[in-house]
Amino acid sequence: MAATKSNSKAWLSYAAVTFLAVASLLVPRANADHSDRAKVVGLRLMCMCGCNQVLIQCNHINCPSSAPMLKELEAHISTGQADDLVVQDFVQEYGDQVLSSPPNKGFNRLAVLLPGIAFVVGLGLVSLVIMQWRKQIPVAAQARRELQSKFSPDAMARARDLANRETED
Amino acid sequence: MDLFGSFALLLAFVCALYAIVGGIFAVRTRNPLLVKSARNSGMAVCILIMMATVSLVYLFVTDNFAIAYVVQHSSRALPTFFKFPALWAGQEGSLLFWSFLLSIYVFSVLWTYRSKHPELMPFVGIILASVQLFFLIMNNFIASPFKLIGQTGPGGVISWITQPDGHGLTPLLQYPEMIIHPPMLYSGYTGFTIPFAFALAALIGRYPGEKWIHLTRRWTMIAWCFQSVGILLGAHWAYAVLGWGGYWGWDPVENASLMPWLTGTAFLHSVMMQEKRGMMKVWNFWLVFITFMLCIFGTTLTRSGMVNSVHAFAQSDIGPWFLGFLGVIFAACLLAFLKNRDYLKSDNQLDSLVSRESSFLFNNLILLVACVAILSGTIFPVLSEWFTGQKISVGAPFFNKINIPIGLMLLFLTGVGPLLAWRRTSLESLKKNFGWPLLGGIVAGAIAWPLGWTDLFSLTCVVLSVFVTLTIASEFIRGAMVIRARSGENFFSSLIQLTLRNTRRYGGYVVHIGIVLVFVGISGQAFNQDKQVEMTTGTKATIGNYTLVCQAFDSTQGPNYTSERVSIEADRGTQQVMMLYPEKRFYDANQESGTMVAIYSTLREDLYVVYAGRSPDNDQPIIHIYLNPLVKWIWLGGVVVVLGTLLALMPNRAPVLAIQAASQPVTTLGGQQVIQAPVHSHGSD
Repeated sequence: MAATKSNSKAWLSYAAVTFLAVASLLVPRANADHSDRAKVVGLRLMCMCGCNQVLIQCNHINCPSSAPMLKELEAHISTGQADDLVVQDFVQEYGDQVLSSPPNKGFNRLAVLLPGIAFVVGLGLVSLVIMQWRKQIPVAAQARRELQSKFSPDAMARARDLANRETED
Repeated sequence: MDLFGSFALLLAFVCALYAIVGGIFAVRTRNPLLVKSARNSGMAVCILIMMATVSLVYLFVTDNFAIAYVVQHSSRALPTFFKFPALWAGQEGSLLFWSFLLSIYVFSVLWTYRSKHPELMPFVGIILASVQLFFLIMNNFIASPFKLIGQTGPGGVISWITQPDGHGLTPLLQYPEMIIHPPMLYSGYTGFTIPFAFALAALIGRYPGEKWIHLTRRWTMIAWCFQSVGILLGAHWAYAVLGWGGYWGWDPVENASLMPWLTGTAFLHSVMMQEKRGMMKVWNFWLVFITFMLCIFGTTLTRSGMVNSVHAFAQSDIGPWFLGFLGVIFAACLLAFLKNRDYLKSDNQLDSLVSRESSFLFNNLILLVACVAILSGTIFPVLSEWFTGQKISVGAPFFNKINIPIGLMLLFLTGVGPLLAWRRTSLESLKKNFGWPLLGGIVAGAIAWPLGWTDLFSLTCVVLSVFVTLTIASEFIRGAMVIRARSGENFFSSLIQLTLRNTRRYGGYVVHIGIVLVFVGISGQAFNQDKQVEMTTGTKATIGNYTLVCQAFDSTQGPNYTSERVSIEADRGTQQVMMLYPEKRFYDANQESGTMVAIYSTLREDLYVVYAGRSPDNDQPIIHIYLNPLVKWIWLGGVVVVLGTLLALMPNRAPVLAIQAASQPVTTLGGQQVIQAPVHSHGSD
């Protein structure tokens, strides 16, 4: 009885700490200022010099693209345009290639969906494998289980360990 | 020497061809002399490739500018130290270097098992020789590093000429790390050829049992360790050299190295299921096949110019050759699998969803999804152009968005997996093993939040890192306590004994701790700060707790470059902590320039200073200052990963104890039989 009481106390304290941790995540963050905005929007754009780097991270020596593009970005932001409009202006000027993530439309939507599809398909396959494994216990395995049940788990673990060591190179 | 190198490569090609044809006849006729002859031919291939490689290094060191490859990648002024990395600076040399590293592995395998496993080794020899043959075709006929420079004279007569000097080595490679990073990464890529060859050989030869896994376990771990070190050194090189303040930009070449690492990691985990329970046989074969194919695919990406990359130093039109080779490998694997799949039936079934087996399944699923996500992001620009005709970009924000949650799931499984028992885990055991670590993680999160860890992913990373560390620590402590109770030794020596008794298991835990450190380092990214300032002598700039004072701006002359250098004093509070010298070098031979970043690194943060060039308005130096927290933890994590792998590679210290314990007569305690067993709380891994 005492053990049950202390267990429930422990779980209560886990729950309280979890609640505090989750609640604290809901506190809103401060708004970003202008220079931070340039950094945030700059993350959505690529440098067009062909270095495959995000605009605010491209620092290639003598890069012909990043400095003028960053100036352009600062100019757009200083007019008070919304982030999406700034990005849209860049797309109009440079094409979809200026976006650091593929545009979420048409064929390019597949880029965003593929990892999710892979996860769902993989999960489906894993589930199928598990179901297959659990559906039919082969006769040989059944016999082995019966045999194993005659020995303690410790003895079996030790035998398995011994077998592993003996066959190890 | 160029003739010697060319001839050695040509002879190696002939010997490889013989090793394959002779090997096939040996397998068919079972003639022991033919088996030996094919094996010796395989070893001769290795020696000849090594000789060709040494001869190319000699040509670099002696400044032989009659060779086109030497002219392109070296110069008289290049320090001898950097004439070694010049070997892999270009297409031809890096392909030869690949052959060279592969030949070291192949020779080691053929020599180690020369009188063992007679039913398996002839198949292994044929497969290894086939892979070597492909690279020798490249080395001899497509991208020979020994080509002379020719000049067509009057009447169409070609005469060979020697250039007075070379074009020099690309500045990006003139760093000490570049002597270590590519060999490490290439050793990883080439190393996966060994488990691939054994797996395919076992499948074709229907080699019984899990022996091929036992045989290749150490080879796989060595390749995996090289790959890990190579990736981390590459990240460190990008951090210290490219000067953009970060270490991982999801560049296609970086991704190419990460993908086989992910599938290799999945393989290292899932083979345990086959070893312990005889399960996932098909899966393991395909994992190792895919890992090897990704290694080849990575080389295709790096070398073919298929995708834009800042790292692709040696692009050319060899892509179709590699794609063709990939096609052949896939066809061979598929055929072998279809023909012999009946031999891959599982011995056991899953007893419970809450078990080590299921955790490995999910670990494999997450690793494979990460790989698919990276692969699709890497090749999507190419696919999009094919299907829509429009060019698009896939940059770091896309990869981060997808891979950060995946990484956190993996981190969670890193803690959970090892503490679940094989077959099934009871609720009591779950509570016992996970209760305190979970509470510790949540408390760490609750402490971290007011300290400024407000970014959701960073906070989750802290919580999980503490959780995983505590689960692993509890495993060590629990085991050591049992040994201490039994042997009476102190806790520390019990801990060492415990680790050395099952190096594979506890080495694996150490690797997991290394991975946790890497994750902690990555989580610091959420707090990065940076600013760009123009500085003249006496100008001050502040970032975080640091004040930077410009002391001087001067020009210096190096052995093969001229440098512009800024001397900056870094102070924390009123105390000077370091002088930093960010510089920009201009190399005379190839008229290229390179950045030298100055870093003051502590466990807490890195003060990272880049001289970005002169202002076009007033000619003053522009300094880009970054404050990157916790970066050092990543490199520290890398060291721990290597130490853990080395530990796991060591043989168990006291196997005799296990045999003794198993053969000891049982003693009787209160009428019940008690067996004295070595300490293993959840199986041996």
